[in-house]
Amino acid sequence: MIKYIVRRSLQAIPVLIGITVVCFVLMHLQPGNPADRFAQNPKITQAQIAAFEHRWGLSDPLPEQYCKWLGVCGDKGVLNALPGGTLNVAGLSISLPGGDNGILHGDLGYSIDDGRTVVAVIGDRLLPTIILTGTAYLIWITLALVMGVYAAVRRYGLFDSALTIFNYIGYSLPTFWLGLILITLLAEGDPFKWFPASGMWDARTVPVFGTSDYWAFVGAQPLNALQDLARHLALPVLTLVLVSIAGDSRFIRSSMLDSLNQDYVKTARAKGVPERTVVFRHALRNALLPVVTNVGLEIPFIFGGAVATETIFSWPGMGRQFVESVGHTDYPVLMGILLISSVFVVFANLLADVMYAVVDPRVKYD
Amino acid sequence: MDPRIEDVELPPSGGPTADYEVALVSLNQWQLAWRRFKKHKLGFFGACLFLGMVAIAIFGPLIMPYDPQYVPSFASKFCEGSTTLIAYSGCPPLTPGHILGTTGSLRLDLLTLVVNGARISLIIGIGASVFSAVIGTIVGGIAGYFGGVIDNVLMRIVDIMLSVPILFVIIWCAKVIGNGDWRVILIVFAVLGWPGIARLVRSLFLSLRTEVFVDAARAVGVSDMRIIFRHILPNAVSPIIVSTTLSVAGVIIGEAFVSFLGYGVDPAQVPTWGNILTGGLDFVGQGNWWWTLFPGLAIVITVLGINFMGDGLRDALDPRSRE
Repeated sequence: MIKYIVRRSLQAIPVLIGITVVCFVLMHLQPGNPADRFAQNPKITQAQIAAFEHRWGLSDPLPEQYCKWLGVCGDKGVLNALPGGTLNVAGLSISLPGGDNGILHGDLGYSIDDGRTVVAVIGDRLLPTIILTGTAYLIWITLALVMGVYAAVRRYGLFDSALTIFNYIGYSLPTFWLGLILITLLAEGDPFKWFPASGMWDARTVPVFGTSDYWAFVGAQPLNALQDLARHLALPVLTLVLVSIAGDSRFIRSSMLDSLNQDYVKTARAKGVPERTVVFRHALRNALLPVVTNVGLEIPFIFGGAVATETIFSWPGMGRQFVESVGHTDYPVLMGILLISSVFVVFANLLADVMYAVVDPRVKYD
Repeated sequence: MDPRIEDVELPPSGGPTADYEVALVSLNQWQLAWRRFKKHKLGFFGACLFLGMVAIAIFGPLIMPYDPQYVPSFASKFCEGSTTLIAYSGCPPLTPGHILGTTGSLRLDLLTLVVNGARISLIIGIGASVFSAVIGTIVGGIAGYFGGVIDNVLMRIVDIMLSVPILFVIIWCAKVIGNGDWRVILIVFAVLGWPGIARLVRSLFLSLRTEVFVDAARAVGVSDMRIIFRHILPNAVSPIIVSTTLSVAGVIIGEAFVSFLGYGVDPAQVPTWGNILTGGLDFVGQGNWWWTLFPGLAIVITVLGINFMGDGLRDALDPRSRE
């Protein structure tokens, strides 16, 4: 088991390295560089542009830029890959030889747009994204589970047929268009002005999310803060749930049908086990095995954010940050978001494989 | 009943025992699949929806009375039969002469735009999917057939491409190399869409390459490339067709989203459902709901048709996979 996990983790290393290369190369696909924004500005001299390029390392050859971004190259050569700084052990301070910048050291660089660290930029956006996608994820997985199992048990019944049609439609809706329609119907339309059309908090009554004022407000009036958040969450979560539930409920239904057709279910029924027990104890538990993997593979979505939904509803999350940074050609931030999202996918795959091996004792690790 | 027995008219039972023949017609696998597909109601319905949309895309622009770029100059300030000011938010649906209404500001005929938009949206969807299916089949076929180092390297590349959030990459590439030309958008989707199919084809080839007919072909000295493309590929073609069909839906939605972000096809060059819809965004607040609604509905109907058709094809081409 341990051996399997180690082997599987080692396999992930070349993929991770490949991801860093892909992120880097993608960013340099574009002609020109961030200094181009000054080209039309008469107040900025050639010397200043050269200084800017030197400051950001834009004039270095690409492999060197990549190597520095990775945190392997630097003034200390290959030693840079090792951790640097000083280590205090039992009163002795030992200075370590390596460097402390580059992604190997957890340093993703600085945003060209506003000079903050990329980690700070992403950190600001991570929590709103997790609140939005996490809520949606919990709701749609729960609903998909209940609906999928019920449809499988009452196969070809009215509910099953209705669910099939609902799934097809949900699967076919473009997320951003559904969001627009929901805004038109429920937020801006005259008949139902129920929910705010955009944003994460009501700027008139609530401080900016993530600031210390906000947390003080949450501490002082937790109910108001929660209500405000819930009102703003309603439409984006509804959008995400409607478009995402289809795939999962379909998957759960077919997995449950598979399992209901197994011989052990027939045996249990033949023995006279009550139908309830057959469904929940015998069939469902086995049907959940592939579901666990599938649900695990969707976890990166919680962190990567929902680009379309966040853009439509002006939700201050990772997806929207990506779109904004694309607009500003802010590639340290873009590389950071791409890298973090991809790394989450790799780890989710790893986790799903390991989880599958843990929950299903029949799986053999070779 | 044996599926190969043609349905022949049997004499009414109890009647005189006339001579009749049972015609045995041998059908190839495509004829069998077509017979199963015809019986798949949802799939058949979906195919009608999709092919109807393709027909509209081909012939529609020819019979539309307006030009998509034509800006009418009306004598009256008001839409015909309504009190809506023309210049404000366009004319609502069912205005005489404009069944789906007109857009705001330039007041182009919305039906003409949506019908013309079908062309490029469908060309991008179908073109990019077929293109990436070809790349995916070649890569997956080579990886699955040869195995070993080649397989390892190609599959790690596939792993990498499947780990990077592809929508992000598409947005970025569309911004960086796209200049509003629909051909560039098509290529971006094609070049980034193949890894899924490559993985599928590889897994099919892994099992098919151990079949006896492959050994037989190799024994008589058939070349590797010929075995891959002439002997194994025809046996793997059904899942590839299904997967390609379903991916058309994904590309159409993706194109619309990229246009929505402003990096897609330039509306001044050709209309697509995505950029028509995007144009209407600023007018939703002014009461023009039809401008965004109808191109979106065109996308939903097409994608729904493709999804129905894809499932029908899956059941028809590969009866074993039926749940």
